[in-house]
Amino acid sequence: MNSFETNIARLTRRDSALAAALRQREGGALEIVPARTGVMSARINGRWIHSAYDPIKEAQAWAEGQSYQDGETMVVFGVGLLYHVEALCARLPRTASIVVVAPDLNVVVDAAAARVWGDWMDRVSWAWGTTEAIGEQVAAAGQPLRLVTYAPAAAFYTDSHRAIETVLQRGVASKAGGQLSIAVVGPIYGGSLPIARYAVSALESLGHRVRWLDHSVHATSYHQLELLKNSQHRLALQSKYAEMLSRITMAQLAEDPPDLVLSLAQSPLILPALEHLRRKKFLTAMWFVENYRHLTYWQQLAAGYDFWFVIQQESCISALKQAGAKDVRYLPMAADPSVHRPVDLTQAEQDEYGSDVSFVGAGYANRREIFPRLLGHEWIFKLWGNEWNGATGLTPVLQRNGARIDTDTCQKVFNASAVNLNLHSWGGTGFDPDGDFVNPRTFELAACGAFQLTDRRALMPALFTESEVATVSSPDDLPGEITRWLREPEGRVAMAAQARRRVLAEHTYPHRMRELLSHIGVASPDRIGSILRGTRQAGALASAAGDAFPSVASTLGTFPSTQRVELKQLAAQIRSRGPMGTLSREDLMVLMLDEYRSETKDLV
Amino acid sequence: MAHDEDTTARRLLIQLARLGDLVQSLPAIVSLATRYPHQSLDLLCPAPLVDLARLFPEVGRVIKWNGIRWHTWAESFAGEFQPSCLREVERYLAELTPEPYSIAYVLNHHPRAILAGALLAAEVQGPNLHGPLNHELSPWAVYLRQVAHQRGSNRIHLSDTFCGLCGVNPPRTPPVFIPSTSNLSGDLAEVGTSAGQWVAVMVGAGDADRSIPIEVWSEWISLLLAHESPCGVVLIGSERDQYAALAIQDGLSPMIAGRVWDATGRTTLPQLATLLKRCHWAVGADTGPLHLAAAVGTCAIGLYFSRARVHETGPYGEGHWVWQADCASPAMWPIQASVKMIREPSTIPQQEPVAGWSLWQSSHDEWGAIFRRVDENDPVEDQRAAIWRQLSEQRRPLQGVR
Repeated sequence: MNSFETNIARLTRRDSALAAALRQREGGALEIVPARTGVMSARINGRWIHSAYDPIKEAQAWAEGQSYQDGETMVVFGVGLLYHVEALCARLPRTASIVVVAPDLNVVVDAAAARVWGDWMDRVSWAWGTTEAIGEQVAAAGQPLRLVTYAPAAAFYTDSHRAIETVLQRGVASKAGGQLSIAVVGPIYGGSLPIARYAVSALESLGHRVRWLDHSVHATSYHQLELLKNSQHRLALQSKYAEMLSRITMAQLAEDPPDLVLSLAQSPLILPALEHLRRKKFLTAMWFVENYRHLTYWQQLAAGYDFWFVIQQESCISALKQAGAKDVRYLPMAADPSVHRPVDLTQAEQDEYGSDVSFVGAGYANRREIFPRLLGHEWIFKLWGNEWNGATGLTPVLQRNGARIDTDTCQKVFNASAVNLNLHSWGGTGFDPDGDFVNPRTFELAACGAFQLTDRRALMPALFTESEVATVSSPDDLPGEITRWLREPEGRVAMAAQARRRVLAEHTYPHRMRELLSHIGVASPDRIGSILRGTRQAGALASAAGDAFPSVASTLGTFPSTQRVELKQLAAQIRSRGPMGTLSREDLMVLMLDEYRSETKDLV
Repeated sequence: MAHDEDTTARRLLIQLARLGDLVQSLPAIVSLATRYPHQSLDLLCPAPLVDLARLFPEVGRVIKWNGIRWHTWAESFAGEFQPSCLREVERYLAELTPEPYSIAYVLNHHPRAILAGALLAAEVQGPNLHGPLNHELSPWAVYLRQVAHQRGSNRIHLSDTFCGLCGVNPPRTPPVFIPSTSNLSGDLAEVGTSAGQWVAVMVGAGDADRSIPIEVWSEWISLLLAHESPCGVVLIGSERDQYAALAIQDGLSPMIAGRVWDATGRTTLPQLATLLKRCHWAVGADTGPLHLAAAVGTCAIGLYFSRARVHETGPYGEGHWVWQADCASPAMWPIQASVKMIREPSTIPQQEPVAGWSLWQSSHDEWGAIFRRVDENDPVEDQRAAIWRQLSEQRRPLQGVR
């Protein structure tokens, strides 16, 4: 019997459906090549997926590097010739549950034909079939899940793996019940400041305990530094100022250590502070709501955060990874429907804010170049926003002498305009040829139920269809498209309504925050994941303490059963018995651990 | 006390602070051993100090307190309570002692030391009268707190207050321990082997504000070695003091650099004890190695400033010297005067005054260590006997925590 038959016979005992499915496949996904040590190795499209010299040693090194906690299910992405799975089985206790994800059964056929599997295969479960089926099989294997990736083999199936992870995240999100403590670190000023506010509100609406470390209170002092004429002094002091704000942030975090530190773009946490936080076992995440091509300070911070969430796709993700980021995910912008919503305007408001065509935003180069083409037409064009100095041709349409427009006014303009232009900013002329991400204004306009005409963006189709948001491919087409849509009021209303429905269904900040936490929960099953699952709640902890630690169980019983309890709270509860309180040996152990915990979190 | 006559009673002394505190606990250890000659006395101390503590007289078993392990548990929690972790803690504590001690003497007013006492012994004697949750202090702890806040006229040495905390009197004679003959590597083996005065210089200190400036040391060593008689200087310190040691040597003339042995970061604590024993003098700020030098019988000269006070933490024993600064950050240092003490010991009683400093010499009596001013110009009356009597009268029965 050849190795394929031997392996399929073994597999049949464990998963006969998979064994039968493998017999239907022909294989051929892998090119099997002997390694220098004599065992089989493999390539895909000429790229080695196992060592060309010693695949077994390489797999052992990989397995050694994987974290594991008792009770977890290890979910392995990347199949190849399964040397790494064999090594993982050898490393983990026999009770460990291991699931291998197989999006392409042809690879498994090749693996079965290349070498005979040993007893270790009897410990392995398989997740295969459609994305949804794989998600269900993995979820059924038991919680908590720890996802591990054998990158050389997984690299050829990234889309499938991402889709499977999304399914798993959805599972985490749907079961999320535990309350996290989250510190949101905002910027001093700028476009990410309102996003920080929306994120805070969204996280609170999801039931988490959120502390906003709001650095906008320092904006006045910071702007004073911008007045310094000597650029050397200005830059040096701004850098010192950012360092000081970073220290302030650390002091704030030390006072009430959160489960997760979530920074918004431009937050003043510097790399040494992030490294210190990591040493102190804080989990950190950054939602980089900026164009990575324009603002490049991410290069200095990439390695500092545990998780990056970005509004651009592949090129951005690989650039961050190259700069040292370990985990980077796409997380597009969104809207807060409690802020951006349809409003009934008075006639006076309609007169003031209304127009046929409007734009709200700053005077970037591409807009300065395009908007003059919209003058002199039959429609009324109103331009709102600041930083339009020098654009004299646009003065007749510029409202309020180019004053900064607040959110409330913005919302009224959106609601009052027939066609809201939404031109993404760019430093060149025309539309950004690399335009990929979708800006917040797109979601905000949609949330207002306002019609918008937007420049074409690469990532738009996945977020809004052509029947939800109208797009235009070239500045030359803009006047024609405006004319067309002004003549189709019913079409505008229908599109705007559909866009709003889409936002409410998929693109609010709670959606984004749930996705962000689900990803972090899947990636850190023993920390954020366990809190989200509710295993840190008093009731669950009391059950775990059980008969072995009756005194601790009894103290835990004094908390509401769904309240999350940390060591700190448990120790405080014990101390609250007062000077005459009696202490059991377990109580003393808890108090001693808490003494060391308090030092662990000493950040300043 | 119930265990006084019980020969099976097991006693544990807990000292979880740094080297200096551990060495200054020796008088309490010796006094406890004298008071309870037929009962075992074990010592719990931080893991890095265990090898040194094993050389102490009168100590049965030295138990290692593994702070790193506790830190690891605390960090692995990442803030969340995990009942499973308590099992590991339980196993660890059982490894330390399968049965609880009859009594633990806690010498630090720190929650960890107090909790360790409560975890490892049936009864605890120390700063707290009624266990970890009750902050009512014992009379000696109250006295220590007053000294820390007011200082003033205190003349009772920290080592002797440790004795008080343990319910025993100070030892009749200051304890001296003889380090085992540890192998010293390379050039350090030469220390103390040739004729002349060997002087250990304590380069660093626990905190930066307690370190003697590098340029002061360079000048001090230059002056000492400028003398015609053969003399050797050994620089003492940990790894983190190596940079300071190099800087001191950079400030020396090449002509004398050959008479300086740099031992910073090159010795274990038992080796350090051996090295200090081989020296005739030890000079430095109020540091662990200075106390270690005094404990192995080497004559110590302390330069006390910042928060250091001669009466509280001067080198314990007889015949040691301390230059006490009038202020926390002295502008000038008794360099010539202290070098002269080594070169011409017979002239010490005739020492010229040094502005901003006073010179004190240690002696020992039934109330422990006492430092007397060389110029006999101490305005404070020695009230140790009265304080000991008063605090002893206030002693209360021991309290268990369970």
